[in-house]
Amino acid sequence: MAFIEIRELSKSYWLHGKRIDVLRALSLDIERGELVSLVGASGSGKSTFLHVLGTLDAPVAGTMLVDGMDVLALPDADLARFRNRTVGFVFQSHYLLPEFTALENVAIPALVQRMERTAALRRARVLLERVGLAARVDHRPGELSGGEAQRVALARALVLQPLLLLADEPTGNLDPVTGEGIHQVLREVNRDLGITAVVVTHNEALARSMPRRLRLAGGKVEPA
Amino acid sequence: MDEPLALGVVAPARPHARWALRGLGGALVLTGVVLAAVELSRTGAWGPVLARLGLGAFGWGPLVGAVTGVMEARRAAVPSPALWLLGPAAAAWLVGWALVALGSYRRAEPEPVAAEPSGAAHAPPLAGWSDFHLSTLAAYGLGILGAELVLVLVQTALASASRGVGWGPPAAFGVALTLAAGVAFLGGFVGASRSRKLSAPEATIAVLYLGVPLPALLSVLPTIPALDATLGPRLREIIYLANLLGRPELGYWLVFSLLVLGLTFGILTGFVATASGRFDLRTGFELFVARRHVHVFRPRLLLGGLVVLLLGIIPPLIILGILRAADAVVERTRIRELGRRDPVAAAKALHEAQERSQSPTMMMTALSVGGVGVGVMALIIVLSVMSGFEVDLQKKILGTNAHVVVLKYGDPQAGMPEYPEVMKKAAQVPGVIGKTPFLLGQVMVASEAQVDGAIIKGVDPETTGEVTDLPRNILPGGDIRWLARPEDIPVRTRFRVDRPKKDDDVIQMPKDAPAGPPLPGILLGRELASSLRVLVGDPVTVVSPLGGGMGPSGPIPKSKAFRVAGIFYTGMFEYDSKFVYVGLKAAESFFGIPGATGVELKVKDVDDARRIASSVLNALEGYPYRTKDWGEMNRNLFSALRLEKLVMGIILSIIVVVAAGLIVATVTMLVLEKRKEISVLKALGVPQGGIVKIFLAEGLQIGIAGGVLGLVSGLAWCLFIERVGLRLDPEVYYIPSLPVKVEPLQTALTVLIAILVTYLASIYPALRASRVEPVEGLKGE
Repeated sequence: MAFIEIRELSKSYWLHGKRIDVLRALSLDIERGELVSLVGASGSGKSTFLHVLGTLDAPVAGTMLVDGMDVLALPDADLARFRNRTVGFVFQSHYLLPEFTALENVAIPALVQRMERTAALRRARVLLERVGLAARVDHRPGELSGGEAQRVALARALVLQPLLLLADEPTGNLDPVTGEGIHQVLREVNRDLGITAVVVTHNEALARSMPRRLRLAGGKVEPA
Repeated sequence: MDEPLALGVVAPARPHARWALRGLGGALVLTGVVLAAVELSRTGAWGPVLARLGLGAFGWGPLVGAVTGVMEARRAAVPSPALWLLGPAAAAWLVGWALVALGSYRRAEPEPVAAEPSGAAHAPPLAGWSDFHLSTLAAYGLGILGAELVLVLVQTALASASRGVGWGPPAAFGVALTLAAGVAFLGGFVGASRSRKLSAPEATIAVLYLGVPLPALLSVLPTIPALDATLGPRLREIIYLANLLGRPELGYWLVFSLLVLGLTFGILTGFVATASGRFDLRTGFELFVARRHVHVFRPRLLLGGLVVLLLGIIPPLIILGILRAADAVVERTRIRELGRRDPVAAAKALHEAQERSQSPTMMMTALSVGGVGVGVMALIIVLSVMSGFEVDLQKKILGTNAHVVVLKYGDPQAGMPEYPEVMKKAAQVPGVIGKTPFLLGQVMVASEAQVDGAIIKGVDPETTGEVTDLPRNILPGGDIRWLARPEDIPVRTRFRVDRPKKDDDVIQMPKDAPAGPPLPGILLGRELASSLRVLVGDPVTVVSPLGGGMGPSGPIPKSKAFRVAGIFYTGMFEYDSKFVYVGLKAAESFFGIPGATGVELKVKDVDDARRIASSVLNALEGYPYRTKDWGEMNRNLFSALRLEKLVMGIILSIIVVVAAGLIVATVTMLVLEKRKEISVLKALGVPQGGIVKIFLAEGLQIGIAGGVLGLVSGLAWCLFIERVGLRLDPEVYYIPSLPVKVEPLQTALTVLIAILVTYLASIYPALRASRVEPVEGLKGE
């Protein structure tokens, strides 16, 4: 059994009374430890697919098993725990909490699951060192550059060692050199920690460097 | 009633048509109700109709009850008025509801394109969306109804059991209310944790159908004699307690709202505790986030708030303006100077200066804190002043009057010659610590200049000090012992200076000392003495209009001369202007009443006076004796004062409610501002309950900060009033300065209730925050 089994997943929006089908009976298997790239035209529903995969958005029909668990049937509380422990998100924008320092931002997922403050902060410090930001721990997001903030966001996604890392154009707002640093970390965690990762990207070079490449078109995925 | 459903087929789909229908329907329903109300007022059938409504609130009862009520009223009212409005009223009511139903009815619209794979069984978030939980309804209903029943039963049991124990109905009420609120809380908690949501419809139904009937029943009880006769005795403790307040209905509904409050807290706590999947009352993380969102516990904000509350708004604003101006001048100059040497440092300083300016949300937060603070401060000051009045009044009344008096039925002229025996028996009753006889009568007091009416009281100068403060209230220059020894009263002779010389042969003035026995002494109040223009040693004439028996032309007044032996001052205008005291013997001989009118007693615990009075009566074996306690003698005064305090409290609570509105606005603004962050937090695994906790904590912080500010400034004001004092016109207010008495329990309750209200105020925005969808904030860019 695959790590993620998606069957007949459909997602529609209603805009001014008109239905827009974003995903049409999409089926997909992703094995544990895979590094998958997902490309597609703008507006093809890549982000929506990733949100559904991360249970941030609910589909209108279909099933999705993650590690054998029917996540779409979970009530809100269990869903929250699933997002907290199993999934790590990196978005196009860093989405760090502005009132907290980089260190605290990274520690938040651990604090959410009631880990002790000092232990959580220790773990966060290790992660920040790993992404090369040991000198920036006490800076607020407003005082970080785009690349630094994105690396903090990556550290935050990894702080609880999730099984699944979902990245939505993580380097979309960055220059190629800074972006490559992020890609490097992504590949490393996939290789060293065995974290399954799905990376949405417009960057053809990056997509080609991934072992498995998918394209979203017409509401379905196909190998790219 | 099937009509609207049948009409549903032609239900309009367009939203504005729907709203028009609903609006029209609602207006019609309202018209129907108003018409019916007008009709009912015309016939005066409100009592019976309300009674039926209260009784039959379950199910279809209201309609049946109203109809029977009207029938009864028709039968009762002679001649029977034509109830011509009632038909249209009922019709409007029914048609109105039908229209509302029609406007709300939605046909299931067929999908233009069928969902492609219909085989996939799913939509779990939708499936569990609008369930109606019967078990939750049961828990809520049992919670509110059980709370009411517990309150009634515990109050009845405790109050009747405590008759001998010594703690009165108010103490029993405290226990009963706490227990009942606990039951309501528990019901809400269990219900909400079963459904894992707030379940507002269930709560509404439970409160309306299971909660309202009892207070409604209690409110209408006095208007239905038949019901009053059957239920009244069973509910006597509750009714007695509510009557202490002056307006019983107010009491019932106030207590009912408290119980609903308890239920609400239970529901909220249950929801928040279980929303993360299991019972989770830990808040470490949520507080961590909330504290960063709302910085209310900053010294600058708290100090600023305190200064504003203590000095008013204008002076601190002027000071702030001066400080800001100075700051701006100095800072700008510094930055400009810096800019010449080091542009980078100057830019940094400028950035920092700009950063210090506050965001609108920050200002709203400060305003909310101030609002709560003002409310709490006003409540504390006013309630303390009113308590001060009450305590002061009680002290003065009890200083002048006895706690308990023993009187005798029958002819007042017969008096109570056996009073020494009565005193001896009463003194043996436990709790009685002082006793003195007295004789009461009404007279006119005349000086050379003026005449005034007064109540004359014959007292025993030896023992009256055991019971009243009279000996201690006598101003220097007088002495109560002179009542017994009139020969010691210094005689003041007028016109001593103008007296002609001894050697004048033409005008011979009498010698200084008047012949005969000395005049008996009399004590006057300060106001009376000044209106009569007499001082200690002056003679006054006491006239009893009826004292001299019947003469040929009607009753003959009886008069007797007294000499002022002292002037007393109680601080209570009424007493100082209306009371005069003479020796018991002098009063006896003046009125011709043997012995005394009665015996005054002092008890150890004034709050226990009523109980001791009845034991004294038992010791005297009842008839012909009767007793009265101070509360009974001054009931109207104290119950008016208490009602006034309640009303003031309610009026001032409006300030707190306004502050609560401010908090709703502030937290809503916070929620809107933090939409993106809420989405991120949800993506990071914070459950709905966690989001609720965060924003509740933010509202609560504002409430606590405001409550603490209000407490500190209120106490400071009270201290100021107590120490410095505000002068009052004693002729109007009967006391020379504003009294203050800070009651710890009352003050703590004020602060606590204010904080609870702010907590309640943040519920709605917190729930809104929890409903922000995770993707909502992530799509912004």
